[in-house]
Amino acid sequence: MAENNSTADSKDVVLRSSIDRSLRHPVMFLFASGALWLVLSIVLGLVASAKKHNPEFLTCFSWLDAGKVDAAHMSAMIYGWGLQAAFGIIIWLMARLSRKECTASGIILWAAHVWNAVVSYGIIRIMMGEGSGVTYMEFPSEVWPLLLVCYTTITIWSLVQFQVRDAGHVYVSQWYLLAGLLWFPWIAVTAWVFVFLMDGHPLMVAGVAGWFKGTLFSLFFLPVALGSAYYLAPKVTGRPVYSYNIALFGFWSLAVFGPWAGMEKLFGAPIPQFLPYAGAASMILILIPAIAVGYNIIKTVIGNSEVVAESPSLRFTAAGVVLFLAFGGLSVLLHTVPALKLTQFTYTGYGFDILGLYGVFSLCAFGAIYFIVPRITRREWLSRRFIKWHFFCSIYGISSVVICAIAGGLSQGQGIEDLSQPFGTMAERASQFSWGVTLAWAFILFANFFFCLHLFLMWARLGRRSSHPTLLDAHHPTSPHGPEGEVDNYSSASA
Amino acid sequence: MTFKAFIIGLLATFGIPWLLLVVVPYSTMRSLGPVEYGKDSEFTGAFVPKRDGRIKEGSRIFGQEGCALCHTQVIRPTYAGNDVHRGEWAGLRKSSSVDEDTRRETIAQDFQQEDVAHIGQTRVGPDLSNFGRRLEHYLKLNKSSRTPEQWALMHLYNPKAVPRYEVPETGAQIITAWKSACPPKSGLFAKVQVNGAGYGNLPVDIEAGMGIKPSDRARALVSYLLSLKKDTLGNPLPDALNFNPKAPKSEE
Repeated sequence: MAENNSTADSKDVVLRSSIDRSLRHPVMFLFASGALWLVLSIVLGLVASAKKHNPEFLTCFSWLDAGKVDAAHMSAMIYGWGLQAAFGIIIWLMARLSRKECTASGIILWAAHVWNAVVSYGIIRIMMGEGSGVTYMEFPSEVWPLLLVCYTTITIWSLVQFQVRDAGHVYVSQWYLLAGLLWFPWIAVTAWVFVFLMDGHPLMVAGVAGWFKGTLFSLFFLPVALGSAYYLAPKVTGRPVYSYNIALFGFWSLAVFGPWAGMEKLFGAPIPQFLPYAGAASMILILIPAIAVGYNIIKTVIGNSEVVAESPSLRFTAAGVVLFLAFGGLSVLLHTVPALKLTQFTYTGYGFDILGLYGVFSLCAFGAIYFIVPRITRREWLSRRFIKWHFFCSIYGISSVVICAIAGGLSQGQGIEDLSQPFGTMAERASQFSWGVTLAWAFILFANFFFCLHLFLMWARLGRRSSHPTLLDAHHPTSPHGPEGEVDNYSSASA
Repeated sequence: MTFKAFIIGLLATFGIPWLLLVVVPYSTMRSLGPVEYGKDSEFTGAFVPKRDGRIKEGSRIFGQEGCALCHTQVIRPTYAGNDVHRGEWAGLRKSSSVDEDTRRETIAQDFQQEDVAHIGQTRVGPDLSNFGRRLEHYLKLNKSSRTPEQWALMHLYNPKAVPRYEVPETGAQIITAWKSACPPKSGLFAKVQVNGAGYGNLPVDIEAGMGIKPSDRARALVSYLLSLKKDTLGNPLPDALNFNPKAPKSEE
């Protein structure tokens, strides 16, 4: 580093640490409560899956009925864990990339508490049998506006920071985060108004709920995961993003294809015929942004394979990006018209949703959390072993859930279509595969129990006081995180 | 890329699908007009799906109890699946006891009076589009002493305790009792002290002096389930809604 840069560097360090300090409480609260919700949602997922092969399991508790526990499982995963983790990532990344301290951390913290209360209320209502009864939007109708108010209170500051940033280059991650921030309220308000407020045709109400579920993933969870991946890959390897043009292409292809997703769930229902086809086409075309992003990120980190292996953040992020490619590939196979016949009403959809939510989004979010938490707590992660368990059990668990659910679902779907088989055969086929899913959730539960514990220890500021980050290889002499510096300084490969 | 170009890009890429997928179809479907029978039809006036029961309330409970996780309510056209040919999901098949094949695909009018169409997520249990029709028919055919309501309540209380009905001629069957994968919904029933004959209690033997009483939710749900008769029996489709007018009335 040249000497005349050293004052600028030290100013930078001060700015970064003041940003981290300003966001410490809200971000830690969002991550920690998100991790708790994740553990809870996995427990509910275990119960839901166990009921598929043992229908009498826990029937003494009517609030754990199969349909209700499944809705609670997905809602806890999406609104308890997914959105809270996304909020934490958004507000921290946006502050860092816009180089602005957060001046509203108290308000964010307060709104995050309300968010948790509202999600708990919604899940309790679902389990009491008082949900909305709308598939994919099971929270009662009064929950949605409350969630939207909390959302606005938590994220509006990030938009403000972006607006008042010092003029200059806007980094790729910022496009993704900014777009996600704007898409989410548009999708959620549309869904809430059309599903709960207006008196629409019952089929279109179901269709809009399906669209909400599809676009919530493609236009909120995916942008946040990819924004975080585009930040971490260059930051940790110390190399610029491979290609600015591919990044641009990846972003706009997602923006073009993403909004059409979701209505393939109504394939064959008496709604205007192009709706499910548009949904299926969108899911097939999602392979294009997947390839663009996957290629770009892998090209950025390739050649630094030991960094990928050693840095927990990068290892999780790289795994998430690889699974995004798998998601895109599978999406093509599962959404063609002959495949839709088999997959529409089977467990395949569940496996595919979990691949997106856990395999792509959550792994990227874990990567971001492993990066952000040491910076805001100013402590390093305690245990290399916990992180390794978290990684391997997550990968093993998610692969098993996805393989069992998709294979089981296809075999189930084939059974429904094959008229020479009695209907009972395919229900049996499905229940056999759900044993595998239950076992896999147990692995994921193990992984995330330790993740949650680790995160709470860090929250209690019991992390290691050290200037060396916790790496997954004990014998590394130098920091693989490279020199500290804002990624937007790297601009692009062509520069 | 300037900020202005970015925002205009987002507005265009999201706004167009938003209008085409959500706003326009939603408004169109909202104002579906009545469909008239044709001139050469023996029926006159507009087609009205025949449904009675506590539909709005029962439909909500069906959703809240999560029934749609395992039961669908849609008979897809043949390009999308074999639903029409699976058992008697789509209606009754012609047999010695049924004069005319009543099977048909689901139409948009089938969901009248409901807040949301329970298309369903998976098919672990059979499709319910014609649950009420099948149940009535099979009970009559098997000369069962149970009313459809009693059978449906028993199924909710304990799916493995109800008898399995089959129609040997068509191979159709309703709910395989002994290995049903449906979890019991005991939360919809209360254990009460029996006074007198215990009217309305389920015909199950538990300890002496006690009976199982269905809650009001269970009754509303059953009333809704029995209203599911989405076939052409006594209510044929007008030409405009009949997507398969040349379909044979019986399978040769």
